Amino acid sequence: MRRALSVALLALAFPAAASAHATLRSTTPHFGTEVQRAPALIRLRFDQHVKVLPGSVQVLNGVGRNFARAAHVEGTQVVAGVAPLKLGTYTVRWQAVSADSHVVSGVWTFGVRVPAPSVNAAYGAGGPTVAEHVVRWIWFLGMALAIGALGLRLLVLRGLEVPRELDRKIAVAAGLGAAVTLQAGIAAFSLRAEDALQLPFNRFLYGDLSPMAATRFGTAFIVMTLGFALVLAFVYLAWLLDRVVFLGPAFVLALGLAGGLSLSGHDAVDPGSSWLTELADWVHIGAASLWIGALATMAALLWTGAPQLRRAAFVRFSKLATVLVGLVLAAGIYLSVVRLPHLHDLWSEGYGQVLLVKIGLVCLALAWGAFHHYVVRPSLDRGDAGFLTRIGRSLLGETLVGVAVLLVAAVLVDSKPPAQPAPAATATLSR
Amino acid sequence: MQPHAEMIHWLFATGILLVGLCLLCEAIVGEEVWRRRPWRRYLWPGLAFTLGVLLWPVMALFTNSAIHMYAHGSWAEVLMLAGGAELGLVHGRLRSPLWRLTWPLAFVVTGTAFIVHEQNPWFFARSAFLHHLLGWTFIVAALFPLLLVWRPRSVALRTGFALMIMTFSVMLFADRDIAPVFGHLSPLAGAPHR
Repeated sequence: MRRALSVALLALAFPAAASAHATLRSTTPHFGTEVQRAPALIRLRFDQHVKVLPGSVQVLNGVGRNFARAAHVEGTQVVAGVAPLKLGTYTVRWQAVSADSHVVSGVWTFGVRVPAPSVNAAYGAGGPTVAEHVVRWIWFLGMALAIGALGLRLLVLRGLEVPRELDRKIAVAAGLGAAVTLQAGIAAFSLRAEDALQLPFNRFLYGDLSPMAATRFGTAFIVMTLGFALVLAFVYLAWLLDRVVFLGPAFVLALGLAGGLSLSGHDAVDPGSSWLTELADWVHIGAASLWIGALATMAALLWTGAPQLRRAAFVRFSKLATVLVGLVLAAGIYLSVVRLPHLHDLWSEGYGQVLLVKIGLVCLALAWGAFHHYVVRPSLDRGDAGFLTRIGRSLLGETLVGVAVLLVAAVLVDSKPPAQPAPAATATLSR
Repeated sequence: MQPHAEMIHWLFATGILLVGLCLLCEAIVGEEVWRRRPWRRYLWPGLAFTLGVLLWPVMALFTNSAIHMYAHGSWAEVLMLAGGAELGLVHGRLRSPLWRLTWPLAFVVTGTAFIVHEQNPWFFARSAFLHHLLGWTFIVAALFPLLLVWRPRSVALRTGFALMIMTFSVMLFADRDIAPVFGHLSPLAGAPHR
């Protein structure tokens, strides 16, 4: 123990083993721009003097061929000549040595007479990993818990005599969801940036993230981080002051930000995407989060914390769930039709296969929900209280299926749908 | 247009100074007198919680490397946690005094983050020097809130806690290179920069 403590203190005393110090201020060409003329020079402007290494600047095309010539320093700038570039997309990977001998690194993309790819699609980036899927799943779960707990209190339990203790527990659950969303968002952004930068962890820590922040994923991360920090603050105030009124803005914010996850995935950039697909994605994720999160909160907190509210809450939730399931299905079917041009894509394409698994799980959840709606609810209406004592575990079971659906959704958000048929080919076929 | 980094540091240094001044006043006049006005009990915990919330925009908008993002994120979280726990205690929502352990935790996490996120040695530049100094001061100063958990009425400990927070504030005011407090230490660092 004493030895471990000494090692920890030593590590803190000599943190200089970590890397960089210089900060990149601007570049030519700029991050993610489409240039009409191939640049003859690549220029990086730093906030201080740096030194260059062999291969400090690389300009890579889609197959990894390097077009950059040897780089040199001009004041606080690093400049590298570039061989003539053809029409296409290019990735710039750079590294420089700070005045303190630490290495700083970064990456950005540009296009010559074509739009630049996102920095996530830079040459060398490996694409989404299992770790990214898991983190995105946790992100979904946190968001569903926050939205669901708030929705349960504001929509299902509205006007009922809710025990103060249950109110506080619901606020804690919503706060936990918001906190998990914040942490998972940071982890997801870090993993995506690490993949784009392609650096060992110790150098990644000091790598330049500015190009990542300028991507849609970066924007979604920033907006969601700020939004869920506010959600957390509102939920905390509701818990502290026993004022349900603070949950209102928290719910609106959390639900409004539900679309951030899909905007950060394939939906916003794929061919065929439009404001309508973005709206449909938001409706799909928002309704699913509210459905699964409220179900989980009801099963875990309300069923044990307020037995007197079980019947009323169940009947009200059943009505709400019908609307939510309708929205989930309508938006999901629309998005599937847009993203999968042919029916056989469902089993012949990777995206379709993941979607098929998701559809299977959703069907299971729907069947479970239908049992609750068509069997349990009428029994409760008839005054059969027997179901109330047995239904808690069934609600938990349906929740677990919902959690599995979110896992598959996390994989799906990162998967790439099959290419859309070219418009000309479509026209020819239709003729 | 983004505000200069100095302004952000000074804004938070001002907030922390206010927290320290409130704590010092409470230590001098005593808890009973300080809390004679009900709103006063919420003043410094509320300020700490708000500073935690305000650190999120700094983390999301003004950091450009992962390590800086993690450092600012951890400060936001521990400030919200410690300020929130203190608010819960003064409002009566939380009962156990062990919740006050969130303060030494916040100090240790903050200090560690200061030290780890500074990649240069002590005498590289003034900001590097102050980051190391802030980090180690936070870690050592964690003793004050730690002992206060078991001796909450000790005037010496309360005063020490307040003075420590005011010291952090002064260091944060002086943290940026262009503020001429200690000068620019290392020729390696080139021209003074942010």
